[in-house]
Amino acid sequence: MDAKIKQALIDIVGEQNFTDNLIDLVSYSYDASEYKHRPICGVWPHTAEQISEILKLANREKTSVVPRGAGTGLTGMAVPTKGGIILDLNRMNKIQKISIEDRLVVVEPGVVYADLEKALAVYGFLFPPDPASGKVSTLGGNVATNAGGVKGAKYGTTRDYVLGLQVVLPDGRIMRTGSKTMKSVSGYDLTKLFVGSEGTLGVVSEITLKINPKTTASSTSLATFNHVEDAGHAVSQIMYSGILPSVLEILGREVIRAINQNTDLALPEVEVILLAETDGYTKTETDFQMQKVIDVFHKNNAIEVKQAQTAEEAADLWKARKSAYAVLARLKPTLVLEDVTVPMSKIADLLNGIKEISKKHNIMIATYGHAGDGNLHPQLMYDGYDPIQAKSQEAASADLFQLAIRLGGTLTGEHGIGLQKAAFMTLEHDPVAMDVMRSIKKLLDPHNILNPGKMALEE
Amino acid sequence: MEAKYDFIKKYREQVLQCSRCGFCQAVCPVFGATLRPAYNARGKMLVLKEVMDGKIDLNDELIDTLFQCTTCANCFKNCPSGVNVPEIIKQVRKDMVHIGSCHPAFTGMNDVLKKYTNIYAEDEAEDFGRKKNQTAEYVFFIGCVGAYREEESTQATLELLDFTKIDYTLIDEVCCSGVLEDIGFTINAAHVQTNIDRILSTGAGTVITGCPYCYRTFINRPQYKPLLDKGIKILHISQFLKDFDFGVTTDKRVTYHDPCDLGRHCEIYDEPRQTITKIAPNFVEMPHSRVDALCCGAGGGVRGAFAKNSIAMARRRLVEAEEIGAEIVLTECNSCVHNLANAKLRKQPFQIYTTTQLIRKLMKEKGSLKN
Repeated sequence: MDAKIKQALIDIVGEQNFTDNLIDLVSYSYDASEYKHRPICGVWPHTAEQISEILKLANREKTSVVPRGAGTGLTGMAVPTKGGIILDLNRMNKIQKISIEDRLVVVEPGVVYADLEKALAVYGFLFPPDPASGKVSTLGGNVATNAGGVKGAKYGTTRDYVLGLQVVLPDGRIMRTGSKTMKSVSGYDLTKLFVGSEGTLGVVSEITLKINPKTTASSTSLATFNHVEDAGHAVSQIMYSGILPSVLEILGREVIRAINQNTDLALPEVEVILLAETDGYTKTETDFQMQKVIDVFHKNNAIEVKQAQTAEEAADLWKARKSAYAVLARLKPTLVLEDVTVPMSKIADLLNGIKEISKKHNIMIATYGHAGDGNLHPQLMYDGYDPIQAKSQEAASADLFQLAIRLGGTLTGEHGIGLQKAAFMTLEHDPVAMDVMRSIKKLLDPHNILNPGKMALEE
Repeated sequence: MEAKYDFIKKYREQVLQCSRCGFCQAVCPVFGATLRPAYNARGKMLVLKEVMDGKIDLNDELIDTLFQCTTCANCFKNCPSGVNVPEIIKQVRKDMVHIGSCHPAFTGMNDVLKKYTNIYAEDEAEDFGRKKNQTAEYVFFIGCVGAYREEESTQATLELLDFTKIDYTLIDEVCCSGVLEDIGFTINAAHVQTNIDRILSTGAGTVITGCPYCYRTFINRPQYKPLLDKGIKILHISQFLKDFDFGVTTDKRVTYHDPCDLGRHCEIYDEPRQTITKIAPNFVEMPHSRVDALCCGAGGGVRGAFAKNSIAMARRRLVEAEEIGAEIVLTECNSCVHNLANAKLRKQPFQIYTTTQLIRKLMKEKGSLKN
């Protein structure tokens, strides 16, 4: 790399926080997607001021910078497609403040979700989004991708909890957004502009998050259905019942079959399994909610409904859902995990459509996901080293996106656009919306140094 | 086309099975100590993937990550795709050594075992005041760390064996040399033969090992199969002691560190706890225990080659002991004791022992063992 830039970076972060070693460059070429591109170097900043100096330098030298948390993203958003500098934020990992009386925490971007969870558990509190990667993903990454999880329907996603940010802009200026209050309508909501912006507008260097008290009781049930439509109706009618389950998950036939072929769980070979959890503070309360959910299951021709009586039984019911990813990850060498999302009433249409796409492109697609918020995870499984199969995957994913949009849905419920869905942005967003997004990008990052090539911001 | 390296022949599919989810980062002790993702299992698998794709070649630049793995297997146990990283790493290290790329500490260990009978290049083997190579029902196999570095622990174990009145003997043992397979070389056949011959000549039916790694080597390495073929039973000391009652207890808050070699690699979790809970009713687990236990940082040749990070890993383990207010940290591995004790800060208010050391101490305090 350019010796002058290298020296300038070392001057900012110190020799021990700079790398252009091959092992780091390889490791920073990837995230959890199929994309790859090598950066020129990596740096480990420790302060907002260091980030600011790095961005000033990059802006001056027109070198791209890609902020990175744990690199667990599924759409290539942390892959440095234009080379440049990887800004690895995982050493900025201090929980700066836990204020139960103000119902908030202040953290650095490199704090791991699970570490905050552990720190808050002491007080009986939590930061609810609970992404599946929470053991390893960082809060900075959660903010940049607006991460969500299984409890999204009831508790929302990261966006719903970010009260304020400290952001370093591409020109190096440091800005504070939001407030430390539960509500604020003061000025434009700059905070939410940065949540889910995938590192394209600024680098988040501090996060103020709203936290929730933890519920202390829950009820769990599992229902099986022979027809996709029955399960779809059940999901819709649960909404009419006035109950918001804390979890409402769905497993499709291909997942069930794969689990049965590879574990000893012996699930019933049905078309759809729905798994519901209600939560609250007493068992009476959660059972009351669950009974309403179970009534809906029965009314919609559920073949079998099981309600867990103990925590162990609940864990048993959860096993199928929890093993899904691991079972599927071992079936074929390559996987792409999509996250198309539709209005809840369209779940059955989405499931049926996925089946047709799988047949049309001759590619295995196993579907599970969050029925409670319409967010499904069709997992496409193939051998990425076989060019024909790789093409089928691309075509199948394109059809999936078309289907989701046709059903009034969105390309992505929680994984983000990154590289993988960039080409499909215009499918969902009209030319005016695209123009506004691109204008915002140009305003904040005129030299396009921050995470370039993502989200179709360059037309 | 013939694959260039043996790791590709044996593990190509496994390497490709890594879906790059990055979940290994949560449990990798080297990442935990360094916060450098190139060191975790995903970082290693990505390097190997690029080697398989012909983008890079195995070379000295990769030593820093490929040789910096304690083979603790926490990644493997937590990998959704089931990638057996420790086995892949062991094979890659052999490929690296084959092309002349190796960490000098690892080369040094292999050279030492060509000339000496132990990994510390010591001449005189301690006899702990006991006769060796006798006819006996049991052989107690000490292991290098117990014989040359953690003699106190070995002394304690021997005194407890005396107390049980079993008929045992020590032998003129040499390094089991299993570790060579982990660090890029092959097991030392001469050492293996020496151990087998000396064990067999005692007529013993059971070998008790003081070291979890020796235990693992005896039961898993094909070179030691002649022992198993002769019907010789191999036990780790923790499996042997669980059936005895030493008649002592302590009120102290005691915790237990699962050695990777005994726990994740051999799934021996309960036996040490059976013994410990008998003597320490105030037993408490650390936040990460059993299959989730944090690694002490010593394994896979990392202590010798990457001492600073090895100690940092041990420190992370001891933070957990501190968090739960432990007064005594027990483990069943001399290597763990050695590394944890080296990492312990003076302000940390606990003692680190092997289980036999604690039992002996309590028995001496009670007077049931003489000083």
